Amino acid sequence: MKIWGTGILKGFVITMRNWMRGPMTVQYPEQRLTLPERARWTVTQKFNEDGTTKCTGCLICEKECPDHIIRIEMSKLEDGTKHIDDYVYEVGACMMCGLCVAACPFDAIYMSHEYELATRHSADLSRVLLHDVDAYVKPKPKKEDEPDA
Amino acid sequence: MNAVAPIAIRILAMLGLLLVNGVVLIYMLRKVLGRLHIRIGPNRVGPFGLLQTVADVVKLLTKEDLMPDSADKWLFWIAPFVVFVPSFLAYLPLAFGPNLAVTRLDTGLLFLLAVLSLIPIGVLMAGWASNSKWSLVGGMRAAGQQIAYEVPLLLSVLGPVMMAGSLDLSKIIEAQKNLWFVFPQFIAFIIYIIAAQADTQQTPFDMSEAESELITGFANEYGGMRFGFLFLAEFSNMFIVAALGTALFFGGWYLPFLADNPIALSLGPVIFIAKAYIGIFVMMWARGALPRIRVDQLLAFAWKALIPISLSWVVIWACIQRLVLVR
Repeated sequence: MKIWGTGILKGFVITMRNWMRGPMTVQYPEQRLTLPERARWTVTQKFNEDGTTKCTGCLICEKECPDHIIRIEMSKLEDGTKHIDDYVYEVGACMMCGLCVAACPFDAIYMSHEYELATRHSADLSRVLLHDVDAYVKPKPKKEDEPDA
Repeated sequence: MNAVAPIAIRILAMLGLLLVNGVVLIYMLRKVLGRLHIRIGPNRVGPFGLLQTVADVVKLLTKEDLMPDSADKWLFWIAPFVVFVPSFLAYLPLAFGPNLAVTRLDTGLLFLLAVLSLIPIGVLMAGWASNSKWSLVGGMRAAGQQIAYEVPLLLSVLGPVMMAGSLDLSKIIEAQKNLWFVFPQFIAFIIYIIAAQADTQQTPFDMSEAESELITGFANEYGGMRFGFLFLAEFSNMFIVAALGTALFFGGWYLPFLADNPIALSLGPVIFIAKAYIGIFVMMWARGALPRIRVDQLLAFAWKALIPISLSWVVIWACIQRLVLVR
């Protein structure tokens, strides 16, 4: 049986229950939610233990990027190895798809958890991740001695 | 000078109460609605956000006083005051304690309701003078709604008036020393809270503001302190109907079972205002709980349900009082 006014009372009860639950708001600058482990934010370089870059300058990330926001300017040194003049990354246009990270064969970049990306100047939206460094040359695996036939 | 000073002090106290009420109620509304929505509400300006309303008032005061080009200048200018002055005058007959009222009128209740019924004129003026269709729709709605709901409001207060035998609010409160009128007059009380909520244009009856469709309706084109006046009047109306409900149904400054206690009597005004604020809290609770009803439902409810019920309650109670209580 429907009694007139029960819906109104139900509304009052629900809102009072909400009152008792207390606020569930997170006060952002002081309190933060922890990001999930696989959250994807800015593309960031990984480095070797000695601080040198892991990037070999293979340009796969540049080719893979759907937004064309990674630009690597390179030159060749006299000994034939590559030299990275600038690794430019446009944060403002990045959609954080993570394809570059998935494509990188040398595990040189990763999606960081840096999510406070607002800047005062538009120039800050273009980041130079690497500047004037020698590309990483993967040490050639030692040729194992031919086993005795 | 001696004749003028006490009057001036009373008027200033009235104005002070109105302004403090406005500031406190805006803060309270935000906090209460926040908690009902599982939020926190204002918490940045001052401790617990206590100074938020002060900051807002300063903002409103320093804003440019804009007027639309096509507005009806004179009406646009005067409308906020036509809304504000009645709600200011309505504090006159309120009795806060045994000997504490701005003035004691024999027809205080009649005066209060008469003054409150002037507000729709100001609201309609504001809506018309803005020369905007949203404002006009809001103003028309407010006028239609307040005229419709004033009838049950007036009829619902007749029960307590019959019981007390007076229109003087102090006498009505004194008559409730032993029995609050809410118990014998429960039906009148229900009608009163519905009609009061509608008369002050609080959600679920805020057709004239209707934030989601009319964007504050009649106050649409107002800015700065004119807007402030319109809203101050609204919040002060909330306090007035809550205080009137306290006086008519909840025994004003009396505490239950402690009616003769001298300490309780000396705390009369505090008790009165606390009761009024509890009433305001319930109004805000309804605001957080209930959705806005449709205009046709609103008017049909007033004319088809509330007015017949309140009229028959007046007749029934008159019969009871004449035949049973007073032999």
